[in-house]
Amino acid sequence: MEEPALVPPTMEQIARWQGVQLPNATARHGLGEMQGLIDAMAKLRGTMVFEDEPSSFEAALRDCKEQEA
Amino acid sequence: MSALTSLSMTEAADAVARGEVTSEALVEACLARIAAHDGGVNAVIRLDAEEARAAARAVDQARAAGKILGPLAGVPMMHKDMYYRAGKVSTCGSKIRKDFVPKVTATVLNRLDDAGAVDMGTLNMAEFAQNPTGHNAHFGHCHNPWSLPYCTGGSSSGSGASVAARFVFAALGSDTGGSIRLPATICGVTGLKGTQTRVPRTGVMPLSFSADNVGPLVRTARDAARFLKVTAGPCPKDPTSAKEPVPDYEAALTGSIAGLKIAVVEDWFLDGIDPEVLKTFEAALDVLKGLGASVTRIAVPEMAAIGTYTALVSRSEGAAIHANWMREYPQDYAVHLNARLYGGYSLPATFYIEALSRRGPLLRAFCERALTPYHLVATPTLRIKVPTLAETDIDVDPANWDRFMGVSANTRPFNYLGLPTLSVPCGFDSNGLPIGLQLSARPFAEARVLQAGDAFQRVTDWHKREPVL
Repeated sequence: MEEPALVPPTMEQIARWQGVQLPNATARHGLGEMQGLIDAMAKLRGTMVFEDEPSSFEAALRDCKEQEA
Repeated sequence: MSALTSLSMTEAADAVARGEVTSEALVEACLARIAAHDGGVNAVIRLDAEEARAAARAVDQARAAGKILGPLAGVPMMHKDMYYRAGKVSTCGSKIRKDFVPKVTATVLNRLDDAGAVDMGTLNMAEFAQNPTGHNAHFGHCHNPWSLPYCTGGSSSGSGASVAARFVFAALGSDTGGSIRLPATICGVTGLKGTQTRVPRTGVMPLSFSADNVGPLVRTARDAARFLKVTAGPCPKDPTSAKEPVPDYEAALTGSIAGLKIAVVEDWFLDGIDPEVLKTFEAALDVLKGLGASVTRIAVPEMAAIGTYTALVSRSEGAAIHANWMREYPQDYAVHLNARLYGGYSLPATFYIEALSRRGPLLRAFCERALTPYHLVATPTLRIKVPTLAETDIDVDPANWDRFMGVSANTRPFNYLGLPTLSVPCGFDSNGLPIGLQLSARPFAEARVLQAGDAFQRVTDWHKREPVL
């Protein structure tokens, strides 16, 4: 299967921003899989609202405690 | 097969308390099993035999002296080698930390010690708890006691294998994407991941601080109930630990689930399911219906979002905390691990923040659709048949990537949602490998899943079956 086009520039970006070098061929293969994640995230565009924030999770855990079904 | 090692954790603890068996006898029985069979299974990293014998003697002497014993007194256990005990090496299943000696002891180990458990040592695991199969390039792969060429599930590979092989009565595992429930289902034992923040993580190797959980691999739901009672509750050293009261989980195990409403979420969890797994899952649902529960098929349209976001959180956090070692010692990681970590450095911070920010709203949505009209969600723990170690070895062949990553498809969403989730054995596939039933409830409703799991185990015997080694 042909390697996704995102792989070489992403490798360059990781090296530049993180100082981490490609460790092996499997990592290169795995990086190619990221196209699927990009596509999945594109489908979710517009769902996050301005007020969403990480701390809402702890509040939801408390609020969603079991009550009578 | 020794009858002693066939006891469940609670049966063993109760037998010690009643004076029907000594802790020393339990320890010797477990040590004999390990000596006879760990050469093939490879579940143990460090065996502290003499310390275990001494601890067992102390329990037996305390009982003889009429002292009150803890709820786990005299029961041999081991822990995944990522729970720190001050002064003892904790390898984290890695070459990088093969000589790491922590200065602190994990809160959960202190609580198990206080409950009288006998710690026999440490167990094999995926390197830095970062794979779902149990491969380990440094300490050797852990092998499934039901059939050695098959994987154990990971990352708590030694925990699942040691409980299945009757090396110990209980083992500590950890679960960030399924790492308790996968080895539980694949090795045919019971595993519980509590609500996110239910059990403190002080002194536990981090993988992903948003999704890491501490929990047991044991024989029965009753074992898990007692184990959770001992280990749950806030710890001042872990400010993220929940302050919710810790109930008497065993008191909820009435055997009755009449009127319990169970939802089967058909999106995601049944996608591409193996026909044998589906048939066994449906048979397990029939058992629950026979006990008076109702089962309803539902759709949760948010599953695609949950599935996407759950993959982002742990990969981002895992990559961040390994960055220094990835720069300095990338060759010291197994191929599959540095390959997995490497992709994490490509994830934009905005993706990660979006995944965290949507977590609360998606938890509310999931509860509204699945856990307000119903008490529990039931799914297969693993939607494929148990794969072999070779079929999921991406160190040898990157083409195995999809199968390797897909193992945790049904477990990861519950880490993202933070929901309490139990896996119990519910059958076997045509290769003789176990199949598991996964039950999830609302936050802090561990008693619900334990109640259902216990009721299921009262009328089935899958959890009592033992591999022939």
